[in-house]
Amino acid sequence: MSTEALTARGGDFFCRTPDRIFTAEDFRGDDALMVRTAEEFSRKEVLPIQERLDAQEEPLMRDLVRKAGELGFCGADTSEDYGGLGLPKNLAARMLEMLSLNASFSVTIGITSGISQVGLNLFGTPEQKAQYLPSLTSGEQIGAYALSEPNSGSDALSMTTRADEKGDKYILTGTKMWISNAKWADQFLVMAKVGGEKVSAFIVERDFPGVSVAREEHKMGLKGSSTARLVLENAEVPAANLLHEVGKGHQVAFNALNLGRFKLSSMSIGPAREALRVAADYAQDRRQFGVPISSFGLIEKKFADMAAWFYAAESMIYRCGADIDSAFSALGGTPDGNRLAAEEFAVECSACKVLSTELESLIVDEALQVYGGYGFTEEFPVARIYRDARISRIYEGTNEINRIFMADRHVRRAVEGKTSLSGRADSFISDLCNKAFTAFVETYGTDGFGKKVSQVHLGALSDLLALNYAEQSARLRASQTGGINESLAAHFTNWATGQAARAYQVAIGESVMLPEWARVDISDLARAVYDRRIPIVAH
Amino acid sequence: MRILVPVKRVVDPYAKVRPLSDGSGLDTTGVKFEINPFDEIAVEEAVRLREKQADIEIIVISIGTADCEEQLRKALAMGADRAILIETSHQFDSQGIAKELKACIEVEKPDIVLMGKQSTDFDCNQTAQMLAAKLDWPQACFASAVAINGSFVTVSRETDLGVETVEVPIPCVITTDLRLNEPRFVALPGIIKARSKPLDRVTPTATPAPLTRTLKIESPGARPPGKKVSSVEELVGELKNRGALPA
Repeated sequence: MSTEALTARGGDFFCRTPDRIFTAEDFRGDDALMVRTAEEFSRKEVLPIQERLDAQEEPLMRDLVRKAGELGFCGADTSEDYGGLGLPKNLAARMLEMLSLNASFSVTIGITSGISQVGLNLFGTPEQKAQYLPSLTSGEQIGAYALSEPNSGSDALSMTTRADEKGDKYILTGTKMWISNAKWADQFLVMAKVGGEKVSAFIVERDFPGVSVAREEHKMGLKGSSTARLVLENAEVPAANLLHEVGKGHQVAFNALNLGRFKLSSMSIGPAREALRVAADYAQDRRQFGVPISSFGLIEKKFADMAAWFYAAESMIYRCGADIDSAFSALGGTPDGNRLAAEEFAVECSACKVLSTELESLIVDEALQVYGGYGFTEEFPVARIYRDARISRIYEGTNEINRIFMADRHVRRAVEGKTSLSGRADSFISDLCNKAFTAFVETYGTDGFGKKVSQVHLGALSDLLALNYAEQSARLRASQTGGINESLAAHFTNWATGQAARAYQVAIGESVMLPEWARVDISDLARAVYDRRIPIVAH
Repeated sequence: MRILVPVKRVVDPYAKVRPLSDGSGLDTTGVKFEINPFDEIAVEEAVRLREKQADIEIIVISIGTADCEEQLRKALAMGADRAILIETSHQFDSQGIAKELKACIEVEKPDIVLMGKQSTDFDCNQTAQMLAAKLDWPQACFASAVAINGSFVTVSRETDLGVETVEVPIPCVITTDLRLNEPRFVALPGIIKARSKPLDRVTPTATPAPLTRTLKIESPGARPPGKKVSSVEELVGELKNRGALPA
């Protein structure tokens, strides 16, 4: 298994400037048609029943998943051998973005088509795949993923759920917390410690003896999705349902999470896209002082900001997805190769997760602000989008955990020769990023970097990585597509430069001289959003 | 039995377009293109007819640049069997299109031509009628229901007075109205399958100068602001002032 076959490496954004990156505009022809089917599905089937979904009216969600399955959305990137379509992960993620205009449906389909299948896809035996994947890819069954526990969240490996071998079965006991889809799920991917020590992954059917689901959690948002505890009381799981190997459950759990984080990024910009659309409609409709509020400079600025944030998030996500796909085609196929492929862009996956979810927050917040007082009521759709968005920064690894992980992993990858800490900076932000890492590695060395450097500094270094990745992605994408995209990217660079300078100050403590502010026609950007009712697109 | 469905590539009917500054056409930069919605209804109807009668072959045809492949592939994904693209950058008017379709029909010999009553870009509503005249075939326009009965097709249309149902012998030309059906979602497996369906490219038989030429396209002028009145008396007074009511 050689990583020499890789054309793009994780960490490239830090040390070099690729000639070309994949962009959202590169979804053409058939791909574009599939993406549009996904958007149409959201608009015709999901958005009109949002309120009823939020009330968990049965069997609406199950029916939606089944319909989505019939169209091919429940197994887009799973192999054709198991009822999937074998499409690239990047395309599957783009479709997922469009299926995510309503966040409750997003999380339901995101889990059953994503993280509940990834473990099987990467580590399942042919028999396990044949038994469990087809019913998920068809949408007939719903899947769930069970890692967290009441006292084991970010510190996932401290789990106490145990599995004890007994004849040809494992007996599982413990409580799994925050299980999305719990109410409807037919099968769960459960992490438990064999003999109380060795983390292992199991496929647990809802109907196995000793398996039950507790009451629904009363959540702040995502009310249409199901979240409950999975209770295992001497649950009897056939030994054949052990996934991968005893003691290697963390590989299953965390690699599912790497890809899960990438997909979550798509899931977080779907609602942001919709927030922008409804706010653009409202701003053009609402009149004050005799004119639509969309014509006011400060409202125009909000739309220019939102469009630029969206553009950057979109740029990094689909660049990352294409790179992941290329890693899988170069390395994937065996469990070991799959693991290497899933790990290659782990830093980028985390960068996408952290920055996209934070940009989502900024976008839904400004969208709500456009509505003024009406935004604070449930009469308009933006309040729901705002509440639903809050969880994005928490689940699939909190943004704090991801920040600790990113900087440390980047340094470790450099030590392993997978990327380089000395590279040519291609922007103000990447220059700050390079300088900060050089300074910290000089002071602390590379050994045990993540343990020696304080969390605050690790966080600042990770911010620099994420901003570097996003800014470079937006800039390269704009130079490839031209037109108004160049202004969008420049507007993002203006914003990101300030953020990066602040992160650098936190990390190093020195003052930073900011570069010149790029002149961008705010009204022009805002008008483009108003006209198209979407974040501005290509050409 | 063979059904021919002409599909036109049009600007997304929900997109906002502006005239080019010289008035020569529309600025379509960055705008999405779709199958003309009435034509999409025709494709859907053809697929539904085949679901009732398995021996039907559905051919979709488009006239325009290579970009039209996108719309043809979508029609194939919806269930059409094969596609023909008359590839050209020449601007045809309805007459020219009808002539090209006639030439193709003489080769393909379809039993039914099923097409949108009009396209959402130019709203001419005449190509099908011209085609029927050129072929000397019967036509049944604005269908709200279509059924094949042996060698006849029964077609209903909604009028202001009620529903009119006619019967036309095959071969015939039928145009579809908005409420005929609601096109299905294009399923992903269908899109993948469509990749391997045949798409023939041919050149137009002639490129006649259009009989109708576009002189200028311009935006409607800005509407003057209205005025709010506070009472019926004031309203009547205003109307009288403006000559809308006798003084």
